[in-house]
Amino acid sequence: MAETHTHHPELTGYQISLRPVSKDDLQQLKNWRNDPEISRFMLSQTKISDEQQTAWFNKICRDNSQQHYIIVYKDQDIGSLNIKSKIRAKSLLETPIIEPGLYIADPRYRNNILAFSPTLLINDYCFETLRCEKLVATVKSDNQAALNYNLKLGYQIVKQGELIEIALNFEDYQKCSKSLKALLSRSPRPVKKEQRN
Amino acid sequence: MNNLEKLKKAFSESLAIPLEQVTDNLTYNTIPEWDSTAHMILIAELENQFNVMLDTDDIIDMSSVAKAKDILANYEIEFDA
Repeated sequence: MAETHTHHPELTGYQISLRPVSKDDLQQLKNWRNDPEISRFMLSQTKISDEQQTAWFNKICRDNSQQHYIIVYKDQDIGSLNIKSKIRAKSLLETPIIEPGLYIADPRYRNNILAFSPTLLINDYCFETLRCEKLVATVKSDNQAALNYNLKLGYQIVKQGELIEIALNFEDYQKCSKSLKALLSRSPRPVKKEQRN
Repeated sequence: MNNLEKLKKAFSESLAIPLEQVTDNLTYNTIPEWDSTAHMILIAELENQFNVMLDTDDIIDMSSVAKAKDILANYEIEFDA
């Protein structure tokens, strides 16, 4: 029987949640992935067909070396995030190196401090729950915004080129993310304001 | 110093940009100076200047100078002349 959902936990924090991808998300994911505004910074710009996507979904349901999520903010789906074991033979629980990837599909939140929330949440999960040693990513050299974004989180450039390789260890992540986490974790709404409303 | 002047000064000093550049249309991440680090400094400066404690929704929504005025208005900070 075909799978209808993936089997990893929903994550919540920093005002957003990461919901595991289900079959119901596939049409939306395909639309996002085929949007030139989103795909232009991806390594491949090839359009995805329904058949390819169904095959992809069936694969990720059985693959313990990767997890795929929908980014949810205030009950709205705003983007997509995934993590993959960098060592193919190892599951996410075994691998010392994980590669996260994400895009914010909703243009209202692309140029917004909220764009840090999914990354903070998944980085915490990778370092603290999955106990990986290092996160790695590849950024196209013309995607300065993504490079700046990652450097703010403590990533270091490992290799320059048309594709820039970057890496992040737990210590640098903790040091660089402290203030951002504090800013995006404030709650509940201050009593002072509620009294005035 | 009135509230509008305080607001412009907070933006100018936090983002390290001239006062004249602080207009309603100025938006997060559209100039190199207003990045995430500057945003955090800006929030701290606005809280200090206006003696308020912003919540995370406000911090997320504060994506332009105009938005900052709207949000601070919820804390009874007026920007009328």
